[in-house]
Amino acid sequence: MAKQYDVLFRLLLIGDSGVGKTCLLCRFTDNEFHSSHISTIGVDFKMKTIEVDGIKVRIQIWDTAGQERYQTITKQYYRRAQGIFLVYDISSERSYQHIMKWVSDVDEYAPEGVQKILIGNKADEEQKRQVGREQGQQLAKEYGMDFYETSACTNLNIKESFTRLTELVLQAHRKELDGVRTRASNEMALAELEEDESKPEGPANSSKTCWC
Amino acid sequence: MEYEDKAGRPSKPPSPKQNVRKNLDFEPLSTTALILEDRPANLPAKPADEAQKHRQQYEEMVVQAKKRELKEAQRRKRQLEERCRLEESIGNAALTWNNEILPNWETMWCSRKVRDLWWQGIPPSVRGKVWSLAIGNELNITHELFDICLARAKERWRSLSTGGSELENEDASFPAADREASLELIKLDISRTFPNLCIFQQGGPYHDMLHSILGAYTCYRPDVGYVQGMSFIAAVLILNLDTEDAFIAFSNLLNKPCQMAFFRVDHGLMLTYFAAFEVFFEENLPKLFAHFKKNNLTPDIYLIDCPQSNLSGKIYFVPLLTPAGGRVLWTPQSPAAPAGCFCPPQTLSSVCLLTSRPAPAAEQARSRIFTLYSKSLPLDLACRIWDVFCRDGEEFLFRTALGVLKLFEDILTKMDFIHMAQLLTRLPDHLPAEEFFACIATIQMQSRNKKWAQVLAALQKDSRETEKGSPPPRH
Repeated sequence: MAKQYDVLFRLLLIGDSGVGKTCLLCRFTDNEFHSSHISTIGVDFKMKTIEVDGIKVRIQIWDTAGQERYQTITKQYYRRAQGIFLVYDISSERSYQHIMKWVSDVDEYAPEGVQKILIGNKADEEQKRQVGREQGQQLAKEYGMDFYETSACTNLNIKESFTRLTELVLQAHRKELDGVRTRASNEMALAELEEDESKPEGPANSSKTCWC
Repeated sequence: MEYEDKAGRPSKPPSPKQNVRKNLDFEPLSTTALILEDRPANLPAKPADEAQKHRQQYEEMVVQAKKRELKEAQRRKRQLEERCRLEESIGNAALTWNNEILPNWETMWCSRKVRDLWWQGIPPSVRGKVWSLAIGNELNITHELFDICLARAKERWRSLSTGGSELENEDASFPAADREASLELIKLDISRTFPNLCIFQQGGPYHDMLHSILGAYTCYRPDVGYVQGMSFIAAVLILNLDTEDAFIAFSNLLNKPCQMAFFRVDHGLMLTYFAAFEVFFEENLPKLFAHFKKNNLTPDIYLIDCPQSNLSGKIYFVPLLTPAGGRVLWTPQSPAAPAGCFCPPQTLSSVCLLTSRPAPAAEQARSRIFTLYSKSLPLDLACRIWDVFCRDGEEFLFRTALGVLKLFEDILTKMDFIHMAQLLTRLPDHLPAEEFFACIATIQMQSRNKKWAQVLAALQKDSRETEKGSPPPRH
């Protein structure tokens, strides 16, 4: 079967419960918005193929449960990710403050070199705003992340932020990617890349510079 | 009924082409938009043979459509008969449960006959009672205790709503903040519990009940608190029991070892459960098991209930964390019910049919009619799983999971990791109930003469011993 894509990454959505992770995801993958979702428990999956710099990138997006209690479970998924969205809700100060905690979790459990991006969601709810745009920018700067205010409801910056994180992951893996390309940009090398995915991903594997 | 209505009277006003339609005894629905017209007056008329040809083609199309309609009508009739039969057998079963089994519960519940009847599904009218009896009340919770816990919860809500913001800042680092977070999370989750049913949301008839039960539980077990997923369990119980009894069943259910392990996210014990599950997985479906291994798809990914994100109302999955709860949805399909989110009163009444509350006779008759028209498979199916879960205990949750895998075995073997994960976390709208239960029935919960409990105990012993010995380095 011909490959529909050149590379594959995993992106992870984390953040407090109710900040709109699932909504962001649905807007991005299906261009749908529902105000009444069901709380996510464990992890949920979606995928989409986008083209960045002429490279077809298949992204698997893992949507996680926000409740603290579930972090023992969701942590397990951190190490499989190449890119992470840290999401807060601009109408919830608490969700913004918790970003610090989420960042430290990422530092602890995600592989080194994982790309992060900060998202202030629900930007359409201006009248309920508790977190200023500058606060978001400030925090993102502190952690050296890019920052977007998004709205799944009005479709603000959704595509932009997903594309941006994908670009960042691509850049971070440029070396390997160039390697893949120079090796004759042939199917075989790509297939090799592909195979990596099906290999068991024990902790031992994470040290390897592996895409997946 | 509805069909005949539509078929009986032509929905279009008489058209100029009456002569073409006259000899049709009824108007096929799907051709009402198809009218044979002559060319407009400003164009030359069709040649006679062409007109003839067109007429012929038109008539053929109408005949085809009529055939389809008839077939559809027959199918509906069969379905209706099937439902009537089903209703009748449910009625008969309800009699047996009420008159024979319930009065002699202690002696009869584990008899072969009752177990068989149980497998067929408990009639909605006795379901709540049977669940209560089967879950039991080891914790000896009384109605008074519920009232006390509820009063305490209400106290807390009040203080939260009056001085909430101050408290929040002061106690940010104390456990009190956790409790608050818990209460807020309950509020958030109630709005996300079966949103399609519109009965648990603010202003809905069961909103307060759900709120009360979850709030009271956080006061009864502050050490556990509220954990996402609980709202679904409480909701399914509420559909079948009164508030106090739902609370008793809820607390006792969560106190079972398996539920406790998962709701407290006791990772070690969860892994033991997964390991036990994999023993039976390999035993029952060796090929698929190998395929999962190869793709590195582990039970933590697909066994933990992951209610799906879209709204269409197909919710149901391996009822591990939330025994079938997380994914139950009732999809109204009666002609009266719109597919959208708002449930008309009729829809509600057929939900009420699932409750154990004695309904007035008129209400019962009405509900009965509505079950004839409304297909409530997903919730019915989930309740049937709860039924047998109440009979067999935790092992049935895992057996159900294996039943799902069995049902989709052929598709799954052809899929890669992400597609498998997607399928399993987001099962199709309509699982064929009978086929599904047939799959579950083929799953043997015996591995080398060992039963579920024995396998689990052995694995637990192993993991304890490894812990005692040199703890294996993690990561």
